[in-house]
Amino acid sequence: MNDKSTWEFGTRQVVYGAIGAALYGVLSLATNYFPLPAAGNVTFRPAVAVLIFFGAAYGPWVGLLAGFIGNTLGDAAMGWGFYWNWSLGNGLMGLVAGLVMPMIKDFKARSDILKAIGYGVAGIAVGMLFASVTEKFIGGLDWSTALVGYFTPAFIGNTLVVVILLPILMIAFAGVAARRGR
Amino acid sequence: MLVTWKYRLRDTFIQRLDPRTRFIYMLCIIFALTLPDIWDFRIILPLFLISLTLYLLARIEWKDVKRVWIFIGIFVFFIVGLNAVLSGRGGPSSVTNIVSPVLFMLPIKIPFTEIGWDVPITISKLWFAMNQIARMLTMAILAIPIPYTMNPNIYGTAFKRMGVSDKVSFTMDLAFRFLPTFARDFKITIDAQRARGYELDKLKGGLAARIRRLAPLVIPVVMQSTVTGEEVIDAMDLRAFGTAPRTWLKNLQYAPRDYAMIAFGVIIFTTCCVLKWGFGIGGFFVPEFFTKLLIG
Repeated sequence: MNDKSTWEFGTRQVVYGAIGAALYGVLSLATNYFPLPAAGNVTFRPAVAVLIFFGAAYGPWVGLLAGFIGNTLGDAAMGWGFYWNWSLGNGLMGLVAGLVMPMIKDFKARSDILKAIGYGVAGIAVGMLFASVTEKFIGGLDWSTALVGYFTPAFIGNTLVVVILLPILMIAFAGVAARRGR
Repeated sequence: MLVTWKYRLRDTFIQRLDPRTRFIYMLCIIFALTLPDIWDFRIILPLFLISLTLYLLARIEWKDVKRVWIFIGIFVFFIVGLNAVLSGRGGPSSVTNIVSPVLFMLPIKIPFTEIGWDVPITISKLWFAMNQIARMLTMAILAIPIPYTMNPNIYGTAFKRMGVSDKVSFTMDLAFRFLPTFARDFKITIDAQRARGYELDKLKGGLAARIRRLAPLVIPVVMQSTVTGEEVIDAMDLRAFGTAPRTWLKNLQYAPRDYAMIAFGVIIFTTCCVLKWGFGIGGFFVPEFFTKLLIG
């Protein structure tokens, strides 16, 4: 899995990291303008599917940068501030999802889509767990608030979005990539 | 929807500080409170007042930050504060372990059931809730002014000068420049889909169906961006990007006030560590005056 191309960091990763970050920021903002109905304190952020997609399509570095910078951008544009642990948590989410990149041969294939969803969900678990647990130490929250109040809603909401939107993104990308020829 | 940055030039002390100084100082305060696990109000209160002073020095208008403060207020006071008062957990174990007078018993019942219990509200829990709120605000009010007082174009340079690699810093710089473009593309896509009869405000069906129906808005923008990316890569490769260290258009230089501010942050961090680990000061305790104030 960890071959050279997976961890390569060149112009392609710089550009798609920036594009992924900007899209993640824009779509996170859009979610605030068109909020999806949620149950309890579960919130839905459709932009997460885009982050996982960028990780799966362009690798872990792109996922990491898109998540970290994208979350920072979204927070900055909304005026929330800079919360390094949530930005890093989002970055980890993209990084873990990006580990699937070398395993994907065909973006339309059911097995490859399932792999991408699997890694995406693992990424969500790792990223949101990191952010929630660090919030425990930074904010002084107890374990139940960190896990039940932060991690669980974020994990459920993001997983649902990824399961629904990621296959659509991958199939659409297969068409675009085939037309582009690279 | 257009992205408008919250940043405005205000010519304040905070804006005259180097962006790196502000990041470093913020990290010093976060680590000063979290690494040695400080819960002593004699340390938290002065740090809170310093953070508040810095926030006020940023001179951000209330109308700009009203929404943020409402959100933070709800979160800090109702979620964190209430949780601390009810459970006393989240901080050191001494909050619930020490013997503390019970102020009153709060009956809590699960709706539509007979299951319930009485939660003792102690002086210790109440004091802990106040400390926790002050502690969280001390860190949060250093982060809030950043988008309002730091030029978005300087983030990339600031991270570069803090030791981050050229490529990562350039990614950050590029992302800030892409953001308005993609926001415009997204707006165009929304308008185009509406013209085709897409009812954005009336997303019907179950939760899964509603999320799926966002695809006509998300897919065109994302796919177009992947095509744009190839063009940008070609342009950058033609200019030999990444073959040699980059030069940066904006230059950052520390002024004496930056050194003073960083030194101040480091002193706070060091003092907190020495007090806690060297002298055992900084742990949680309920001051006598607070107990007397409540129960005489």
